[in-house]
Amino acid sequence: MSLERFLSQVVPVRQKLYRFAFRLLGNEEDAQDITQDALMKVWGMQEKMAELQNMEAWCMRITRNLALDKIKSRKYRVSDGLDRAGELPAVQQQSPHAVAEQNDVMGKVHVAIQALPEKYRTILQLRDIDGHSYQEIADILDIDMNDVKVNLHRARKGVREKLQNLQVYGL
Amino acid sequence: MLEKYWEGETSLEEEEALRLFFRTPHPDLPEALQEAAPMFQYFRMEAEKVWEVPPARIVKLSPMRHWMKYAAILLVAVGIGYAVKQQGQRERQAVVAMKEQELNDPQRAFDETKKALQLLAKNLNKGTSKMQKLSYFNEATSLVEGKE
Repeated sequence: MSLERFLSQVVPVRQKLYRFAFRLLGNEEDAQDITQDALMKVWGMQEKMAELQNMEAWCMRITRNLALDKIKSRKYRVSDGLDRAGELPAVQQQSPHAVAEQNDVMGKVHVAIQALPEKYRTILQLRDIDGHSYQEIADILDIDMNDVKVNLHRARKGVREKLQNLQVYGL
Repeated sequence: MLEKYWEGETSLEEEEALRLFFRTPHPDLPEALQEAAPMFQYFRMEAEKVWEVPPARIVKLSPMRHWMKYAAILLVAVGIGYAVKQQGQRERQAVVAMKEQELNDPQRAFDETKKALQLLAKNLNKGTSKMQKLSYFNEATSLVEGKE
């Protein structure tokens, strides 16, 4: 792989990789390290690039594997939902009370999603936030497309049940 | 469509339609539809979030970037060399120690000396028999020549 190809095809997905790593690790510094490591790894495996059909999915798979290795390597504490609940962007509303209520509900949704097993959570985020197709998610996670659908169904069901238990309904 | 969504069977287009629908509040909706609203709102907020990615660190690719690998190889080589050297030294020391032990033990020293002298005597006897044969030959030659 030439430097030009790396710069034109891999570097532009850096932001996506960072976001992906951040969601897995919940920490800016570690997400940055993992993104950097992933790019280094991609550069180191350049001979494999020619056979790839979906470069972006491959880069994301490498990022995920590195992030999961980091989580496994030591007793890594992924920032939980409550840590970030306050960081959620405030919704533009008229009344401060409504803003507070809105943030509270968003915090609960966030916690419900964070409580899912990693695989479910990742699939849900890739589909419902990033808008990836089933095939792209299957490529990123290196699993069958039917597994993506089954896991997505379970993930949505899990969040739905949690929100029902918390009695979180529409605003 | 929402039921399809929970089942994980909606297409991206259908999900986009749901996202658009829940973009605006619908307070008059039945509870079954209301429950999805916070999720879609959360997804929209997360999708619209601007991520500030810290600038990439420049990593200079020098041949010494794998210095730990080279150091490890060197360390292993030095270790093997040292081990081999130590082994040789130990063997030599063992031989010397054995010899010293033999010399310090009078019985063993006597046995060894005896063995060495026997070997010498055996070799000397070999020479004597040859000399005896030579002597017979000389005597015979003198008789033939009539010297005696």
